[in-house]
Amino acid sequence: MTHPTDPRPDGLSRRALLRQAANGFALLPFADLIGRQSTGGAQVRHHAPRARSVIFLYMDGAPSCQDLFDYKPRLVREDGQKFGLPMEPTQFNNRGNTLGPCAKFAQHGESGQWISDLLPHTARMADKLTFVRSMYADFSEHTNANYFLHTGHGLQGRPSMGAWIGYGLGTEAEDLPAFCVLNGGLVPPGGVDNFHSGFLPAHSQGSLFAMRGDAVANIKPRESDRRQRSKLALAQSLDQLAMAHDGADPALEAAVRNQELAFRMQTAVPDLLEIQGETPATLEMYGLNSDYEQTRTYGRQCLLARRLVERGVRFIELTCADTGGDRWDQHSGLKHKIARNCKMVDQPIAALLYDLEARGLLDETIVLFGGEFGRTPFAQGRDGRDHNPFGFTMWMAGGGFRPGVSYGATDEYGYKAVEKPMSVHDLHATILWQLGIDHERFTYRFGGRDLRLTDVYGDVIPELLA
Amino acid sequence: MTRPRVLALWGVFVCLPLASASRAQADAPAAAPQPRAAQESGEMAQRREHWAWQPLAAVEPPAAGHPVDAFVADALRARGLEAAPAAAPHTQLRRLWFDLVGLPPSPAAVERFLADPSESAWLREVDALLASPHFGERWGRHWLDLMRYCETLGHEFDYELPNAWRYRDYVIRALNADVPYDQFVREHIAGDLMDPPRRDAEGRNESVQATASWWFPEQTHSPVDAMQHQADRIDNQIDVFGKAFLGMTIACARCHDHKFDAIPTRDYYSLFGYVQSSRYVQAPIQPVAPNAAPYRRALALQRDLAAAWRAGPAEAAAPAAAPDASPGRGFALRPEDVRIADADEAERGWYLTGDAFGDAPWAEPFCPDPTAEKPRLVSLPGRFWVSAAAGPRREGTLATRSFPLEHRYVHVRTAGDHSRLKLIVDGLHVVRDPIYGSLHRNIDRPDAHWVTFDIEMWRGRTAFLQAIDQREPDLGDPRHNRGRYPDKTWIAVQVVCTSPHRQPPTTADGPAVLELDRARSTPQLDAALTAFAAAADALPVSPTVPAMADGSGIDSYVYLRGSHKNPGQAAPRAFLSAVAAKAAPAAQSSSGRLQLADAVLSPGDPLPARVLVNRVWHHLFGRGIVKSVDNFGALGDAPTHPALLDWLARDFRDHDWSLKHVVRRVVTSDAYRRTSGVQAASQPSDPTNALVHRQNVRPLEAEIVRDALLSISGSLDPQLYGRSIEQPREAITDARGKPGHHDPLDGKGRRSVYLAVRRNFMNEMMLAFDQPTPFATVGRRNTSNVPAQALALANAPLVHELCRRFADRVLAHSDDPTERLQWAYKLAFGRLPRAAELARLLPFVEAPGDEREVWFDALHALINTTEFRFRR
Repeated sequence: MTHPTDPRPDGLSRRALLRQAANGFALLPFADLIGRQSTGGAQVRHHAPRARSVIFLYMDGAPSCQDLFDYKPRLVREDGQKFGLPMEPTQFNNRGNTLGPCAKFAQHGESGQWISDLLPHTARMADKLTFVRSMYADFSEHTNANYFLHTGHGLQGRPSMGAWIGYGLGTEAEDLPAFCVLNGGLVPPGGVDNFHSGFLPAHSQGSLFAMRGDAVANIKPRESDRRQRSKLALAQSLDQLAMAHDGADPALEAAVRNQELAFRMQTAVPDLLEIQGETPATLEMYGLNSDYEQTRTYGRQCLLARRLVERGVRFIELTCADTGGDRWDQHSGLKHKIARNCKMVDQPIAALLYDLEARGLLDETIVLFGGEFGRTPFAQGRDGRDHNPFGFTMWMAGGGFRPGVSYGATDEYGYKAVEKPMSVHDLHATILWQLGIDHERFTYRFGGRDLRLTDVYGDVIPELLA
Repeated sequence: MTRPRVLALWGVFVCLPLASASRAQADAPAAAPQPRAAQESGEMAQRREHWAWQPLAAVEPPAAGHPVDAFVADALRARGLEAAPAAAPHTQLRRLWFDLVGLPPSPAAVERFLADPSESAWLREVDALLASPHFGERWGRHWLDLMRYCETLGHEFDYELPNAWRYRDYVIRALNADVPYDQFVREHIAGDLMDPPRRDAEGRNESVQATASWWFPEQTHSPVDAMQHQADRIDNQIDVFGKAFLGMTIACARCHDHKFDAIPTRDYYSLFGYVQSSRYVQAPIQPVAPNAAPYRRALALQRDLAAAWRAGPAEAAAPAAAPDASPGRGFALRPEDVRIADADEAERGWYLTGDAFGDAPWAEPFCPDPTAEKPRLVSLPGRFWVSAAAGPRREGTLATRSFPLEHRYVHVRTAGDHSRLKLIVDGLHVVRDPIYGSLHRNIDRPDAHWVTFDIEMWRGRTAFLQAIDQREPDLGDPRHNRGRYPDKTWIAVQVVCTSPHRQPPTTADGPAVLELDRARSTPQLDAALTAFAAAADALPVSPTVPAMADGSGIDSYVYLRGSHKNPGQAAPRAFLSAVAAKAAPAAQSSSGRLQLADAVLSPGDPLPARVLVNRVWHHLFGRGIVKSVDNFGALGDAPTHPALLDWLARDFRDHDWSLKHVVRRVVTSDAYRRTSGVQAASQPSDPTNALVHRQNVRPLEAEIVRDALLSISGSLDPQLYGRSIEQPREAITDARGKPGHHDPLDGKGRRSVYLAVRRNFMNEMMLAFDQPTPFATVGRRNTSNVPAQALALANAPLVHELCRRFADRVLAHSDDPTERLQWAYKLAFGRLPRAAELARLLPFVEAPGDEREVWFDALHALINTTEFRFRR
């Protein structure tokens, strides 16, 4: 397929462009595909977008792909035997024998994708999924890898991809932030900086929605609506008097507008969270009646993600709930701990995909599933797997990705990506592309450099795209 | 060329006195000037033509009067622009207070100045505020932004950087004392090496405290590749060094020559060596001068005690054998053992921090704690460095030179109590499990014994050994992260060697520790013990700060494409090649940071003065003469007033690098005092106000919003300094590394500069108002406008609580509504309400209802106006 691109103005070298354009990207009028109006942000549009929202199902701790998606007969066959490939140093350097998968695999759907029986609900959606089976990361330690996956850089302080996307595209939601993080309870290693705006304007940062208590900091008025309105009306009338006296200023006017948005959010956020209007079938489908508390929490997050997409929010990230182990970080007790993680996310995720499609939203929403790296095909101790940045699986659905295909492969053990290895920067570049953004031209000047989400790396992977 | 093996493997060349003959290069002076011009393309030379590298121009103001106004008027005239009129006196005063001390003007100051807004009254206000201790708090916070100040290391467990807050206090003190900026910068780069250091009235070492600023990069506890971790840390350190002091983005040259500036990648690695040759310590700030009488007295009495014991009857101590009956060391190194450091060669290979170890190794029996209930005498075979030389109260760190881990084992002969040995590999000071735990050893045996490190995992790397006798925990300390070690600890070290043998060199055991039984002791021994106890007890226990300490001089290599696995050409330590000033070579046993600081601050380097005066301008106008305050390079902005910039920089240097002088220069100008209102005539031709035809409207920073609320509600505790204020428990997310201590919602009324800065637990309200996250130099904060700010001012519990106190304060002031409103306006806005405002407010506050509630609503409305949140 071909992608429409904006031609570079004739006669301008790349360097000249860099010097000229303060922010490095072309500002074009933004008319959305489906007629929604986007406001704020940089209004970047390098080509026609295929998607307008992203839901990132972030699997904190790094799921073991050998037990979920990456079926390797040799791994089954050689369970307990000496590992057949040279082993790289690992986090804990306690490298044991080959460890076979703790679940059974089968092919699912017309596409015949391999998925293990730990994820029976997800398996039913096999034909919707685009598997990348050859991901690799640059870091094997959680925090660096988390920053890397979120910001394209292994150190703290860079903007998260949600911040980049919200900043670049602006928001379609009048009364909500462009980047929302639905926090299931586990803030990943590295903290909220995984969702930070870094050097981008502060309004780009992820707004955390807690699943308990007040969802948004200070969202709850501490007085009656009438009282608050009269108070704010007084403040605004005093503002008008002061500006009439001292002169107006764009910064002051923007502050007044923000006060109005904040006021609207006080209504919009509770409205978002009020899910009792959903049908009982929907609540059931998402797992809100599950006997497992973590499934109920994650189901609520998935349902809220759909509601945020409906409201025009750009980027929604879901963190996991605490299943009593250590995230997806199964250094030991793999079999029973991974089963709990799967029970938490499997049904809600399948429901989310089904629901988005039923509402016609899946086409324009990228759903991304994955963790910061993979796990070793050899054992750590008796029954755990250590960190493995050399090869792992992520999947996408919707948003113009090719459904029902697999891209790339790891070796016979699921250890290292050997066929079409795909980097985190490639992932970012491809997601940006689907949103109408050319990652190489989407820059922000900070500290004297034009910085990008993809640093100086990354390629769009056309084979993943429909 | 053939490189030494160590280099080929790891890209680091260690200048080691005991290294093998293949290290002939090491004998060259560390920073010998290289014929760089020959290696460079003409482009680098061309880039040096960029304005920022040029010497400060010798310019004179183009007209009489205030020099700043002469330069500004000149630029306006050239563009046919009209300067805006002066702002109203109350606006000027409020601006001055916020800009100089970060607080709203006091009602007394408002009354004083509105009654007499004369030129001399203005100068009086300026001088009073420059003399206020709050000046250091306000401008100190600006400086902390440059140093990415924080108190934890981030990452998974957010380990504390013990005593980081003392650095914050150091900055505030230094700015209040108007320490000359060149001294201030020299202290930041090499305060640990300054001889003599600057001391405060109580004799505490101020200079060393500045070096804490090197230790604010994030660090993790288990990097799989420690060398990569070190390279990333040093990258951050160079980045901050370059931007903060020089306004140069040096770190852009990590992987390749700088894309736009005259900074070859070799320059980056020349600076890399300075940092790589330096180490982390907790430095005592109250060292007793080595020749000070009380300290020498304690050392002498320790020796007297040994003599008294030796002279006494044998039965004074239980064991029959005298501990020094068999002189000698009890061991011999084997041919394969490589001696790294030896107390018998005290003059080389050892690095001491603090004075605990005395000035020489110790050969006599010694008493680690003469005040103990049952004092013990320790006798070790041969000479040892002993941290209890002057008794238990002095603390310190002893370290070896850096050495390559050529053999599998490192053996250390040591003794001690509640102290520790650390093997620091590739500069990784966060020594703990799961990967590095075996490199930390607790030393809890008082007899001489060998401790063996198996370094198989780190063969070929570079390391040094630290022996630590300190109360404060180490970085990521496995046992004491939140607490402290016991007070009376000690450590002794005799010899360090590497060896292919797992078995340490042979040792003849012997009795070592004697209980001094006072009931059976002699009067002489008793007296000696009592005298020593008194002398040792009289020595102060010194607080410590995170600091730099010198290590072996190490020159790095250019890492090709930024990868430490890919070493290229050698890059001897040197300052930026584009700057005329060159750093003198340093001794091989030193990092050379002091020489680096000299080069940075020499007359041949125009950058520090220019960068600093531009920062002052930025803080006083909201926009620098060079808008990109941290980047004076080709991608930065050009100066709008180059002559003014250079004139200010020269004026700054000519006035002893006085920050207060520059601030005073600027705020006494007409330019500073103009209105911020948009001027219809000038706006079209100067829409961004680049030519400073008026002042700028700016939002108050996060800290100032909170401080202003504390101030107007009468809640401000003006106390200076001290441990940081933590957030209330309910504000902390439940995550790893959360603080163990909490303070009340109002933070005890302390100014925001004293709020703890924990990487993984940043204060949400501060972040919402654009306090930067601490990762890099931020000379120009974001100024965002987000709903979170409005939500905080509308609904945050802290804001409500302080507004209630504000209301109570106003109600108590008078019974008359107009007088109350006048008082409220004076507190919040530094002026009296105008008639139209009273006409809106009086009906509001006189509406029926509970008086306290009504007034709370009215005053809360004032806090939610833009007039409160912005400085005009």
